[in-house]
Amino acid sequence: MSKRSITDWFAEVFHLKDTPFMGVPDYMFSVEHWLGGIAASALAWQILTGLLLLFYYEPSDAYTSTMGIINTVPFGSIILSSHLYGAYVMIIAVYLHGLYIMFNGGYKKPRGLQWVLGVLLFALTLGVAFIGYSLTGDVLATDAVDVGKGILTSLGLQSLIPVLFGNGTQLDLFSRLLAWHITIAAAIILFFLIHFYLAEQNGLMPRGRDVGYKAPAVINKADPSLKPWWPRNFVYMVGLAFMVWGIIVLAPSILALPSVYHNIPILFSPYPGPSPTSPQAASVPAYPPWFFLFMYKMADMPFGLSKDVIIGMILPLVILLLIPAFDRSEHLHPMDRPGITALGLIGLTWLIELSVWSVLQPGVPVSPSWAAVVMLPPLLIIAVGVYAIHRFVWPKARDKALNGNAKAGEGKKEWALSKSAASALGYIAGIWAIIDIALSLALNPLAAGPYIGLLWGSALLSLSAAVFSYFYASYL
Amino acid sequence: MSADVSAAGPTMGRRDFLKALVFISGAVVVAGMLRGLDFLMPPEIGVTAFPRLLLVDENGNPIKASELPVNADPKIAIFPYPLNNEPSFLFNLGDSSGKPVKIPPTTVVVPQTGATYEAPGGVGPYGSIVAFSAICQHLGCQFPELTFYPPGHKAITAKGFLDRVINCSCHGSTYDPYKGGAVVTGPTERPLPSVVLEWDPNTDYLYAVKMVGPVIYGHPGYTTPTPKVLANPLGDLQGGSPIKGKTTAVTFHTNPAATG
Ligand code: HEM
Ligand code: FES
Repeated sequence: MSKRSITDWFAEVFHLKDTPFMGVPDYMFSVEHWLGGIAASALAWQILTGLLLLFYYEPSDAYTSTMGIINTVPFGSIILSSHLYGAYVMIIAVYLHGLYIMFNGGYKKPRGLQWVLGVLLFALTLGVAFIGYSLTGDVLATDAVDVGKGILTSLGLQSLIPVLFGNGTQLDLFSRLLAWHITIAAAIILFFLIHFYLAEQNGLMPRGRDVGYKAPAVINKADPSLKPWWPRNFVYMVGLAFMVWGIIVLAPSILALPSVYHNIPILFSPYPGPSPTSPQAASVPAYPPWFFLFMYKMADMPFGLSKDVIIGMILPLVILLLIPAFDRSEHLHPMDRPGITALGLIGLTWLIELSVWSVLQPGVPVSPSWAAVVMLPPLLIIAVGVYAIHRFVWPKARDKALNGNAKAGEGKKEWALSKSAASALGYIAGIWAIIDIALSLALNPLAAGPYIGLLWGSALLSLSAAVFSYFYASYL
Repeated sequence: MSADVSAAGPTMGRRDFLKALVFISGAVVVAGMLRGLDFLMPPEIGVTAFPRLLLVDENGNPIKASELPVNADPKIAIFPYPLNNEPSFLFNLGDSSGKPVKIPPTTVVVPQTGATYEAPGGVGPYGSIVAFSAICQHLGCQFPELTFYPPGHKAITAKGFLDRVINCSCHGSTYDPYKGGAVVTGPTERPLPSVVLEWDPNTDYLYAVKMVGPVIYGHPGYTTPTPKVLANPLGDLQGGSPIKGKTTAVTFHTNPAATG
């Protein structure tokens, strides 16, 4: 029997050669087409570590049990801090995935429902992360819950407070937060499965030039030149998952190193903050988790809390949901869709502006003139700029841009790395991963949590590099 | 896949080698990280030494040795010691007329290993007060399955109808509290661990100070009653939450063996 038979056997028992998943053209093996895959890999990590945390989390003793996980359970600090950073990675991936699709018209026929599910997944992801963050019961969590109550009240939804946050006892609060956390996570899993199913059925969206930058952009799945899903997509996905998990484990472990930890701003701390009853609590600004900073500043706006919330959260979601209905043209190129392009850029700019502003002046009320000074210029510059380019520059450049793009794409086949160099890299990375793991075995999981995390993260990243090198040397 | 592999021609061997390395590396990383499942091993809780605890009633008033009901009839006294999940019986043993009897210290044999230990004698004004773990050493049944049969109330045992024994209705183990909790009938192979008590004649108060005998059922080392363990069963101190404060509360329950 040759070595090859293991893979063949694996493919056979799982019927991988007949999976309904589609194979993709070579150019799609590039990260912008896999942002959803990154989010999914992070989700898988969240499910694994979240279930592990359930073994120790005690709603009756939220903060103490959380600190107990970090300080007294073997590998607990890695599991908890990587659950936090897994959430961060998932959120960033969902943002990038959504923006990429928004700018490239991926929400158009036939993918309207996929887009709507994606927007819901985005909202649910922010929601589950917010609630997870509150589960720790630290001073920030307490603030977050209080603000959540205020937001519901401002929207006239105070009757939802007991449903979400319970009858006022600490026990009911944390029991409910935990139940909601898991319920929303389950909803995310379900929606993701439907979203993924639709993506496979509709086919992944081809690059613009292959379809003349026109919707419906679909790949003919029967095209014989498409190489099958197994093994190329499988191997790539495995490499990607290891990469994502590597980052998720490595990042908080670096931040948790004793020499680094004390210099980390609380917003990015790998561990929960002080207990709300401790003396240090008073010196912590009432920050929400960083992905809700924009809303924190919105709440300082001079329109009154209910309008602030509607403008900051509800309206953007409604607009996002309705984008496929607004933009029914067949154009795919961002410059052919100036409205959506400007909308995306303005939204993104405001998001960043508000978040930074919120860090600098947490909770400081905003006067109407300041609101105008900060918010209006980007609106005007982007709206006018995009429109001007679309109207005056684009008509002349369009032909060249669309076809020139095509030529640039043609030339791209020249890969920088030779196959033997890639193989060599693969060997080094694979052996490096083994060394990392061997070193980690010498460390005590209670005393040296961050160091083990460092080695694990490095091992996962190296392994991912080895898988990608193998992929590159074998399939491209 | 076989098609594109054979097309690769000369590099095939080398690529197979890389593939093998990637597999090995993947297996090592996954196996090495499985060590993380150690996460599931809960941190040990417990105490480091046997605490000296005053026996009090539910209201926190000290138990008076001379007022303790004799023969657990009709109420049987139970208190946690040394951890919260380790209930013990507190007996004032007597004869059939209900008069306390003196319980001398005694050497107890552990049938499982043949090892022996010294069980303490009774304390209190009549030397009649003793205490034992209230968890059966066979498979862990507790009160009311495990209970004391006062004089005149007989348990059905493998050695016939017996009174003045602790009998477990789960599988029939029988222990003799007058003889340091020694095994009377199986299936248990280990005696009931003894709580060492102290009595302060000035105040009439009772204190639990330590354990001797096998480790309490279910706690670390309870299946290995070596002489060293029997003399100082430190396993009792782990696997449960410590009792807060300097007292442990005795609760009184209707003894089904006495009323039934
Ligand atoms: C089945 C899936 C999941 C389960 C069972 C789960 C369970 C948990 C538990 C028990 C905690 C409390 C940890 C503690 O405070 O001790 C927690 C915290 C948290 N969860 Fe999840 N979770 C899941 C999925 C997710 C997802 C999908 C996200 C985000 C995208 C997420 C984000 C968070 C965050 C941000 C925290 C706070 C961590 C910290 O502050 O250190 N969780 N989760
Ligand atoms: S548990 Fe008591 S006899 Fe089996």
